Amino acid sequence: MIRRFPPILYLLNLLYFLYLAAIPAKLSAQVTPDQLLHSADQPANWLQYSATYDGHRFSSLSQINRDNVSHLTAQWIFQSPAPGFFENTPLVVDGIMYVSAQDNTAFALDARTGRRLWSYKRALPEKLRACCGHTNRGFAILGTRLFLATLDAHVIALDSATGNVLWDVEAADYSQGYAFTVAPLVVKNKVIVGVSGGEYGIRGFIDAYDPETGKRAWRFYTVPAPGEPGSDSWPSADSAARGGAPAWVTGTYDPQLDLLYWPTGNPAPSDDGSRRKGENLYSNSVVALQPDTGKLQWYFQFTPFDLHDWDATEVPVLLDAEIDSKPRKLLIQANRNGFFYVLDRTNGKFLFAKPFATQNWAKSIDSSGKPTVLPNAAPNEEGVRTCPGAAGATNWMSPTYSPQTGLFYVAVREQCDIFYAHPQPYVPGRIYIGSTYMPAAKEKDWGAVRAIDPKTGEIRWEYKEFSAPWAGNLSTAGHLVFTGDLDGYLIALDADTGHHLWHIQTGAAIYAAPITYQLNGKQYLAIASGSTLVTFALPNTPNRRRQPAARIPTAN
Amino acid sequence: MNFAYFLFLSLFSPLSPQDKSAPAPASNAQSIESGKSNFRVNCSFCHGIDANGGFRAPSLVSGHFSHGDSDDAMLSNILHGIPGTAMPANDIDEPTAREIIAYLRSLQKTSQPSASGNPEAGRKLFFGAAYCSQCHMVQGQGGRFGPDLSRVGAMRPREYLIESIRDPDAQLTERFVAIDFGTNPPTYELVTIITGQGTVFSGVVLNEDSFSIQFMDNREKIHSWLKSELKSVVHEKRSPMPKYTKQQISDEQLDDLVAFLTSLRGDRQ
Repeated sequence: MIRRFPPILYLLNLLYFLYLAAIPAKLSAQVTPDQLLHSADQPANWLQYSATYDGHRFSSLSQINRDNVSHLTAQWIFQSPAPGFFENTPLVVDGIMYVSAQDNTAFALDARTGRRLWSYKRALPEKLRACCGHTNRGFAILGTRLFLATLDAHVIALDSATGNVLWDVEAADYSQGYAFTVAPLVVKNKVIVGVSGGEYGIRGFIDAYDPETGKRAWRFYTVPAPGEPGSDSWPSADSAARGGAPAWVTGTYDPQLDLLYWPTGNPAPSDDGSRRKGENLYSNSVVALQPDTGKLQWYFQFTPFDLHDWDATEVPVLLDAEIDSKPRKLLIQANRNGFFYVLDRTNGKFLFAKPFATQNWAKSIDSSGKPTVLPNAAPNEEGVRTCPGAAGATNWMSPTYSPQTGLFYVAVREQCDIFYAHPQPYVPGRIYIGSTYMPAAKEKDWGAVRAIDPKTGEIRWEYKEFSAPWAGNLSTAGHLVFTGDLDGYLIALDADTGHHLWHIQTGAAIYAAPITYQLNGKQYLAIASGSTLVTFALPNTPNRRRQPAARIPTAN
Repeated sequence: MNFAYFLFLSLFSPLSPQDKSAPAPASNAQSIESGKSNFRVNCSFCHGIDANGGFRAPSLVSGHFSHGDSDDAMLSNILHGIPGTAMPANDIDEPTAREIIAYLRSLQKTSQPSASGNPEAGRKLFFGAAYCSQCHMVQGQGGRFGPDLSRVGAMRPREYLIESIRDPDAQLTERFVAIDFGTNPPTYELVTIITGQGTVFSGVVLNEDSFSIQFMDNREKIHSWLKSELKSVVHEKRSPMPKYTKQQISDEQLDDLVAFLTSLRGDRQ
């Protein structure tokens, strides 16, 4: 005999299964494309490299503000086992922090205590080619998948709950000088990465991968193939094939225009232009790509025929503002060559540029955006002193834009180098830079955070630093700018005035930008320094601090 | 090959590693030129643009190297690095390394160590009449105000040593404090400090940043100040070391002193 269940039991069963299906979503963070689009509305999390698609690195959290920032107290310290430069921007999703270290080890941490939830260790080949220190700048996340681009030129997906590898694809041959240091960017259903290797004579590219399978959806080569538009900016197919133009810093995205903005690096060899006479497209540019196809919509080249290693790999920041009483969709960039650029991001049209640091190589930038290069700025056998130096007036370290103040804050390096050029034969997989550069002797370099008005390029204030920095910046709705310096200080400044409000010595040079997040009602600040990641917050409650000391029990 | 067998074989190896060298490539102009190019790309960041030495690494123009003078030793040091030092393994192939060696050998012809000076007489001057040891230490003997010179013969060429004695302001030696890439080492520069109370100190900086300064005064006393506590910090852009003119040290005495200094290669005596 078959017993029939009453319909109510079916309903209860269904509800129970729906409940079970909902549990995994609670246990491991789910990040939807919609959440990424609206990252600014979830300041408790840090969902992508630059916080938001527009690259602002601004947080609307204001529990920590300019009145109480001097009370910040260390909460926990995470020690990474990897040596070298800890340039990571962690992600924070619903109380879990995802950190990638410079040797492609990675960790999920309890964002409240710093205790590990899982670790990932990658077996890297012995002879990696990443030229300028092994490093990794972070993850991207979509759904329950974390995406990491590795030093051996692979892109991998990890399960955010376990650290298990879900897929691992080779993008290029590391032994030829290809590597990844970039934090990927997720746009819609694509994982986007740009390659490193400008010092090895690679041919640069930007790739998009399917987050589910790891299948490559498109590749945009940053050096055109023979016959393609822009290929005539190289003197020969050979020079283009090893022309560099890497793409090693995370780009930005405008969902309304549906355009991806990705910056590119130096032509190769960086210091000797004798065998690559021409503009060397698309080196030292920003390219605007359609994210679904990788098709080039427009480009703008900051330093044509570069001889000073001035990669344009600085985050292109997107904002809307009125220029000459006209509302404009802008793309702004403080470039390694010493000029601050403002472009129309709908079409790449150059609006204006102004120097934001000492420079002695260009007379001016003309109305089309091209530099008028001064005589004797080219490196030669004897050496030529040029400012900025090879590390640039700024570099990959992230700037920040605060909608609260309308100001753009950038780390500035005041330093000059002597540039030498010397023709060098190309050997696949070997350093290919065409000589070298040296700091100008007896010149003390120094640094600053400068606040620039993006509408005019005017410098509103400057906070001076003893040494030229490599740390990025964070601005918050607490009227604060956080920065780090080369001597190891994490520093808080008043976003309106640049006045110093607080600092702490972290123990090692800072090569990262701070982030902030909120957990159980408490705002945290986190910074990578040396091999540690340090977090700060305000003391629990002011009342608790004022409580009278407990009475000491007596013997009787 | 097991390790004991390897040791056994090495007992019968020629004493001088130079004898084992593969025939060096013809040191023709082309390989020297190529070696120069590769030196600049791979080595100059630490060893200086013309191999005269930087604060990170020694001069390579004397032909005498702390870790072996033969082509084979140099080749091994270039390719595999030197354990326990900052010298890394270099990712270059053997022909490239041999060209770099050819370039370094070509520099030696123009820079020979002093043949005329008497190192023993130089030692007496150093610890006696020339007062060098008031500030400089050699193998644990001497002062701490100036750079330790126990390895200066390996680190710096003769021309540099002469310049440093006759004109110490010409190049200020950097202090080995920070080993992070990109950080600025302080130099042995004369610095004058006036404290909030108005006390004046002359000395050298041990370390300095935006907020603080660590300092050794000319009596070797170490101070720590926050910059907010000080009236002024003046970098004098010159060395605290006096210029030794020909009246103070004759050319002959200088020869002796330099012969002593070039003999200092870090060996315990």
